[in-house]
Amino acid sequence: MYYPFETQITPLTTVRRERMLPVSGDVLAVIGERVEPTQVVARADLPGEFRILPVARLLDVPASGVKRYMRVNLGDEVQRGQIIAKRGRLFAFTVKSPIDGMIAASGGGRLLIEANPTPFDLRAYIHGTVSNVLQHYGVVIETPGAVIQGAWGAGGESLGVLKCMVDSPDELLEAEAIDPSCHGTILVGGIGLSDAALERAEELQVRGIVVGGLPPELVSRVEEVPFPTIVTEGIGKVPMSKPIFRLLRTHDGREASISGRVQPRWGIVRPEIVIPLPAETVPPAQTQPGTPLKVGARVRLVRSPHMGAVGTVVALPAHARRLETGARVHGAEVDMGQGTRVFAPLANLEVLR
Amino acid sequence: MAEEQRIGSILLADCGTVMTKAVLLEQVAGKYRFVAQGEAATTAEYPWSDVAAGIRHAAEQISESTGRRFFDASGDLISSQLKGQEGVDAFAATVSASQPLQVVLAGLARDLSVASAQRAAASTYSTVKAILASDGREGCLSEEARVRTIRDASPDVILITGGVEAGAVSPVLKLVEAAALACSLMDEGVHPRLLYAGNSRLRKQIVRLVEKRAELRVADNVRPTWTEENLLSAQAELDALYVQDKMGQLPGISTVSSWSMVPLTPTARAFGRLVQYLWHLGDHSKGVLGVDTGAASTTAVAVFDGRLFTTIRGDLGVTFGGEQLLRERGDETITRWLPEPMSSDEARGILINKEIHPASIQQEPRELWLDQALAREAIRTTLELARPGWKPGVAQPYPYLLPLYDTIVVSGGVLAHAPRPGQAALIVLDAVEPIGISTLVLDAYGLAPALGSVAAVKPLAAVETLDSGALVNLATVVAPVGHARSGEIILKAQVTYDEGGTFSVEVGYGDLEVLPLPPGQQAVLELHPLRHFDVGLGGPGKGGKRRVSGGLAGLIIDARGRPLHLARHARQRQSQNQQWLWDVGG
Repeated sequence: MYYPFETQITPLTTVRRERMLPVSGDVLAVIGERVEPTQVVARADLPGEFRILPVARLLDVPASGVKRYMRVNLGDEVQRGQIIAKRGRLFAFTVKSPIDGMIAASGGGRLLIEANPTPFDLRAYIHGTVSNVLQHYGVVIETPGAVIQGAWGAGGESLGVLKCMVDSPDELLEAEAIDPSCHGTILVGGIGLSDAALERAEELQVRGIVVGGLPPELVSRVEEVPFPTIVTEGIGKVPMSKPIFRLLRTHDGREASISGRVQPRWGIVRPEIVIPLPAETVPPAQTQPGTPLKVGARVRLVRSPHMGAVGTVVALPAHARRLETGARVHGAEVDMGQGTRVFAPLANLEVLR
Repeated sequence: MAEEQRIGSILLADCGTVMTKAVLLEQVAGKYRFVAQGEAATTAEYPWSDVAAGIRHAAEQISESTGRRFFDASGDLISSQLKGQEGVDAFAATVSASQPLQVVLAGLARDLSVASAQRAAASTYSTVKAILASDGREGCLSEEARVRTIRDASPDVILITGGVEAGAVSPVLKLVEAAALACSLMDEGVHPRLLYAGNSRLRKQIVRLVEKRAELRVADNVRPTWTEENLLSAQAELDALYVQDKMGQLPGISTVSSWSMVPLTPTARAFGRLVQYLWHLGDHSKGVLGVDTGAASTTAVAVFDGRLFTTIRGDLGVTFGGEQLLRERGDETITRWLPEPMSSDEARGILINKEIHPASIQQEPRELWLDQALAREAIRTTLELARPGWKPGVAQPYPYLLPLYDTIVVSGGVLAHAPRPGQAALIVLDAVEPIGISTLVLDAYGLAPALGSVAAVKPLAAVETLDSGALVNLATVVAPVGHARSGEIILKAQVTYDEGGTFSVEVGYGDLEVLPLPPGQQAVLELHPLRHFDVGLGGPGKGGKRRVSGGLAGLIIDARGRPLHLARHARQRQSQNQQWLWDVGG
């Protein structure tokens, strides 16, 4: 039995997203509350900057003698420019606080001033209803909707209206197609995009880009642009897989939340597109996660020469077969439609849910 | 003893970052034998979030081939053998799936205490997030900058070294103060531990200095004198922290632990145990080297004079870390090993795609070459880190080259699953650049760490399984050391097969000759090096006879020179790589 990896490309499911603060704080939303993507659902104070002041050296006194010249105490709030220590009168040595903050520690003739903490607002990210509150840390938000997991991504989270820019999944997103109507939208391309298209998208302040493949030379560039990029198949010239393209096209003009965050191991995070939908009931999942691969499973091939192609498993041969590399591996016969059948290593199949 | 005798079957598992292997050992005719192996994706992540599931999946494959069931309906290990078809008598596991320990190193001198700290950290699965030295560029850093560096790195451990015994005081205390201050500035939930392994006379002052700002641990000074290095105590502390804080946090690890008779072992430690055992079996004047190329880390284990030296690059494996290596070291670092042109962008794309689908395998030769090229560079980079810490003694005739190894054990999917054995052999030759005569041993079934761990349960099982051919001879390699003009004859070799017949060859400088000697066959190899070439038979120009065993890739004479030089021009280099691949049957 082979237990394949899975990718979610689901037209309608219950989307649950845990929204967690990086440090403990206050949860502002309550169970049952309807939230908007930009709504702040929790807030925390992140540790701010700090400064270490060598007070003894600045006052030109030994460390043990600093105390008598101090004008502040541990725990005191201080303002930028406020005198912290002073020695002498006429030509006095003075030490002023370089920042607004609090005296956090002292010792060895030095003072540690911690700046006021930086407030951190955790936003809902998706439209939905708060289904659970994790006290001091965050919330779980639920919504019926479509979900598409990407393969690779860059950038953070964003929200916008999906705008399908190409007519087929193997079409390139060109700069010429990006006009002022794209401002504030999430552009959907096909096989990839050009450098010029990326530049144009940046100029017109789009909210995100979704493409099948990404030319490797643009990997560093998309990490720098101010909006997320989601690559549904992989790096290279790869057409967007048909089910993903169809789903995105169906929802052309609908609002979606996207995340370009990616972490390939130790708490995997995959980029995604979430399209909240006004559904009353959600059909049960067709396949259970974590189950063995079976004949009839809808799969996506994840390595060249068929990267991004989607088909159905029609046979699981008992014996290993030889690949072009010379390796002998166990695999599956996959029907790609239109009479095309390919043998793909089991390790290169992903079940679509 | 009676308890021990009841162990007739042992299930061993190795949970890697990407793949989990299971191995069944069983007593057959009174001796332990390797029976079957299974492999499945590691299940530490969604939808399983339970490493035990991956072990069950891998064991299912063994069940399919043996008919033996290992787990009951609720997923628990059937712990005692019933009627020969259910359960096992013992279970043990090795683990490398967890995130490495994130470490900040601090010390006085870059090439002394900091270097020792680096080697101590590299003995366990770790990633060095930042280095603070009191000399060089970092020496000019203000205390504030040091504190900021530590806080931004947010490590699990800050390892502070520095000061020989009765040596420096003030700079060490400054480092400790900066580290303690940084800890006090961090959120309570992410307070790093402070491990002090410097001048031991300062311990009391350091305890006072740190107070309650950090959890302080103390190890022996890693540099008690200018010339002496003592890493054991610091290594043990770091290893314990990895086991406790990282391995122990893997989802489902407590279930796996409950199945095992002995504590779970980090894979590298178990691998080291096996390599150490192999040293005891071989020529003690030489060392034994073990190389394990994992998906997320690369391990080099060397044993000289019975002493074990473990080095792990916790951030560089054949799946994860390649793209970063390309960024850090430049475009040609990896592509220089390819037999055909490939742009750095294409290479980067393939490496990222591999990270996206870590369990996937190459279907196209170009991608395979890149994978194997990365393996070469991962091994070379790890050996670069390891070498300064070794104490090879008489096994090191040439200081600028690697020591003499009797045996080189290689493990890891990229080597074990290489489509042709010649490819695996060439990866090792290019990456390790062995000298003299060595036997390359391939861990074809991924058993090496498991055998290291079984030694803790049942040492006899490890020994007997090894004897039964658990490791496969990949090749016997002769690598002469010396310089000549390209093509000039430097060695005459004659192989006299036990089964009859001889084979003679004259080897030119720059050649890579493969002589037929299949697995299971024995022969006497007679070598006559010319001029001042050293084949490891007593010095330059000295020849002699040596009994050798066959291997999957035969008997290889690597006369390409040491150190190995690749052609400067890309086109020539690609032809060179292609030629070598053809030479070894790759």
